[in-house]
Amino acid sequence: MATYSVSVALTGSGGAGAMTAGQILLDSASKAGFFGLMTRSMGPQIRGGEAAALVRISSVPISSLDDHYDLLVAFDWGNITRFAAELPLSRDSLILADPEQGDIPEAVARHGARVAELPLKALAGTIPGARANMVGLGAVAALIGLPIDSLIAVLTVQLGRKGEEALAASTEAVRAGARAAATLPALPKLPEAAPHDGQRWNISGNEAAGLGALKGGIKFVAAYPITPATEILEWMAPALEKTGGTLVQAEDELASINMVIGGSFAGLPSLTATSGPGLSLMIESLGLAVASETPLVVIDVMRGGPSTGIPTKSEQSDLNIAAFGLHGDAPHLVVAPNSATDCLSATQWSVYLAEALQTPAIVLSDQAMGQSRVIIDKPADSPYVASRLVAPAGDGQYRRYALTDSGISPMAIPGTPGSNYVADGLEHNEKGTPSSQAGDHLAQLDKRSRKLDSFDYGDNWADIEGDGDIAVITWGSVTGPVREALARARARGQKVKLISLRLILPALPGKMEQALAGVGRVLVVEQTHSQQFAKFLRGHYTLPAEVSVFNRPGPLPIRPGEILTRLAAWE
Amino acid sequence: MTVQTALSAQDFKSDVKPIWCPGCGDYAVLSAMTKALAELDVPREQIAFISGIGCSSRIPAYTNVYGFHGVHGRALAIAAGVKLARPDLTVIVAGGDGDGLSIGGNHFLHACRRNVDMTYVIMDNEVYGMTKGQASPTTSPDWCNSKLTPEGTGISPVEPVRLALAAGANFIARGFAGNPAEVSRLIVEGVRHPGFSFIQILSPCITYRPEEREWRNAVHASGEQPAQSMTEAMHRLASDDGFTTGVLFAGNRPAFMPARAAKATLADIERKFVS
Amino acid sequence: MSDVALFLAHSVALESEAADRYDELADAMEVHNNPKVAAMFRKQAHYSRLHLADVQETAKDVELPKLKPWEYQWQSAEGPESAPVERTHYLMTPYHCVHLALQNERRGHQYYADVARNSPDPEVRRLAAEFAAEEAEHVVMLEKLAATIEEPQPDWDLDLDPPVVTD
Repeated sequence: MATYSVSVALTGSGGAGAMTAGQILLDSASKAGFFGLMTRSMGPQIRGGEAAALVRISSVPISSLDDHYDLLVAFDWGNITRFAAELPLSRDSLILADPEQGDIPEAVARHGARVAELPLKALAGTIPGARANMVGLGAVAALIGLPIDSLIAVLTVQLGRKGEEALAASTEAVRAGARAAATLPALPKLPEAAPHDGQRWNISGNEAAGLGALKGGIKFVAAYPITPATEILEWMAPALEKTGGTLVQAEDELASINMVIGGSFAGLPSLTATSGPGLSLMIESLGLAVASETPLVVIDVMRGGPSTGIPTKSEQSDLNIAAFGLHGDAPHLVVAPNSATDCLSATQWSVYLAEALQTPAIVLSDQAMGQSRVIIDKPADSPYVASRLVAPAGDGQYRRYALTDSGISPMAIPGTPGSNYVADGLEHNEKGTPSSQAGDHLAQLDKRSRKLDSFDYGDNWADIEGDGDIAVITWGSVTGPVREALARARARGQKVKLISLRLILPALPGKMEQALAGVGRVLVVEQTHSQQFAKFLRGHYTLPAEVSVFNRPGPLPIRPGEILTRLAAWE
Repeated sequence: MTVQTALSAQDFKSDVKPIWCPGCGDYAVLSAMTKALAELDVPREQIAFISGIGCSSRIPAYTNVYGFHGVHGRALAIAAGVKLARPDLTVIVAGGDGDGLSIGGNHFLHACRRNVDMTYVIMDNEVYGMTKGQASPTTSPDWCNSKLTPEGTGISPVEPVRLALAAGANFIARGFAGNPAEVSRLIVEGVRHPGFSFIQILSPCITYRPEEREWRNAVHASGEQPAQSMTEAMHRLASDDGFTTGVLFAGNRPAFMPARAAKATLADIERKFVS
Repeated sequence: MSDVALFLAHSVALESEAADRYDELADAMEVHNNPKVAAMFRKQAHYSRLHLADVQETAKDVELPKLKPWEYQWQSAEGPESAPVERTHYLMTPYHCVHLALQNERRGHQYYADVARNSPDPEVRRLAAEFAAEEAEHVVMLEKLAATIEEPQPDWDLDLDPPVVTD
């Protein structure tokens, strides 16, 4: 297959500037007309920790890391053994190392990749004000065929504020790196970037989720900082303020979810964002939102669990708590974006669904896509905007929880005369008065599940692509590598269908039955240790007799090639 | 649209009958609350009455305004959300000593310091009534009548008004259920005072703490103007016996309210992503 | 109590608050399955409203001042005929109920008698004396009723079941 993408890992301890170099590389790729994806892997240290910027540049849109890195640039080897497992290399890969930093550690060398030495630091030393990471960046650009002009253009914008000298030093360092690379072993080069006239965006999954929330109509956010969700909040705080909304930093997640319940009760579409530990704290109050029929959205950017787990790295293991954590029979929405880009549309759709159905929606994003930065075509506009069925002024006989055919009852917003009511987490009758009677309980349970089950979710419930008697069912960020694996499988003639589930709850057995028509074998792919997704599927859907599960916990990303290997076994 | 004119206390009562034990101080608090609401002259639909879980937290259902009966300990958080989302609403929060000072203790501290314009009434009976009479954070350490702590808790009780002062509440008062007229006045003043107003109301539990009937003889009016400085209030509260009623502190911190004005469109915001 | 309007405003509040309180107690007794006492409280509420109507009739040509709840000049924390909430019990008997009402009426009588004695305004003194006389009649009626109701056994408040746990 012709080269359409190149993957580069830039590593170094904090201070080496690996992350900055990665960011500039991605921006430059965009400037040159390429698509791209950058993830990061970091140690837990606040400053000075080991870090890797993992950049993939491509002539076609991508939402997955590749099987291995074509180029590994190590500014130093500090603590690299801690995440060497996340840096797969092939024999064709090239390791670019600074001899001043010592021998290549065994954990990296074991792949048998080619090695090239480049005295990054010494070269930088010859140029006043230059840094080794800029020299490295120039070498990378030359090695992968990224026009140096695009690098210079990005630096000009980014360093413009720092003055002429800083810009000149960096520019010279980049050129020095590029010149030095001319003597190094060759790597596959990027193809020409296809000309395009549309707008390209440079956005992270977390920013996309924030934007989706705003586009869906969110006006009130209360939240407590937590890795890796904080960026959503940091992005939303000024954006909300500028567009007439409010963001409050709460004292803890118990407060944030309840503030959000209050904001929504008061009439504003409301949201919070968190990660696993925060979601755990919010669970009781999510039940309150279900019982009181208060719409709200919780974005959970999943990280390794249980407990504090691995805060900086990805896993899909909050599926169980999101789906099953609430006590009682508590129907609610669980929606999973399946790429950094989809963080926008899935979050926007979730705001719409939560408001329409007057129930909480949990958006299951994860660290891998939340903290990925992607270069994409400008996302298409989506029609989904919050629209709550509200009650008019009344005569004092208002029934907040009236039993309707759809299960959705008009919700009175404070300020509406004659329709005041008391929202309650106690089971209640149609008026909202607490009731422990069997009849009221059954009627309200029926109502709350009816509104979710009878709603028309359209085609958004899943991404279904391709055809064949084999289907890969997956969800979330793992969809990226699955998509890529399926493209490769199709290229070699295998017929495979993709079913990437976006609407986790409520489950739609009828739609899944249609999607699985003619499918005899299913491969489930997920990033958990206990096969949470496969078990979820078995609990809610009728699957073909032959089901194989490929699961692995975080933090190791699932790679397209690994999925392809499993599909090949069915050829 | 119905136009409301001078509503009476009765207009603020709902047709739901309280489940409180006859003799409970909370009845008097409810009566004082509806009188205060009538006195405030705010339309019913502009009032949000928020509570948590416990005997006293049932109170919103007995009033004829918008209300939220949430989960245990989180009333202040819901209320802050309501007020920050809708600054035009008058927000009142009520609950018990366990709800507000034990499970909800963290929110109490932060509500005091956040100083959102709302009024919080703790109906303090020094006991958990709905779970059969266990010690609460305000119970004295040697109270031995709970099966859970038969030797007493051995733990010093929280003094709610001192805690509120230390945490930064902008208005602090204490009332007694047996003097509902004063309680009405404290609520009216608390609601009218900007920022976070905290009112502790001693409300006897005649079922688990029948000895609290004697509070009638222990309470005494402050007789002084409210302290206006932290120093003065701390000085006074240091020697307080827990039964002084009246407004104990009236500060002048401005209420917290984030600025909010639409200055940009979503298209403006999106433009930042163009690569 | 220096003028007629202020005095009558107090009288209106005295009766209406007493009536409201009796209704609240009746509601509480209904919720707690004590229908006999509930009915008695309801009847007391009814009588208080009749008295209220009498006072309002007397005051129909007088513009009454609008007082805030804490501006009433009672000798005690509440209006003299408002039954103290803490004097009730879910197992209370008609005996307790009638004695509670009797105490309320006696306080009412005492209040009016005090005003009739101490007000500087002769018209207030006249009206207060009139109302005191009426309250005295109520006291007598309740005393007669009380005489017909036997005192319950000392274990009247014995509940064989423990209190219930709810939320």
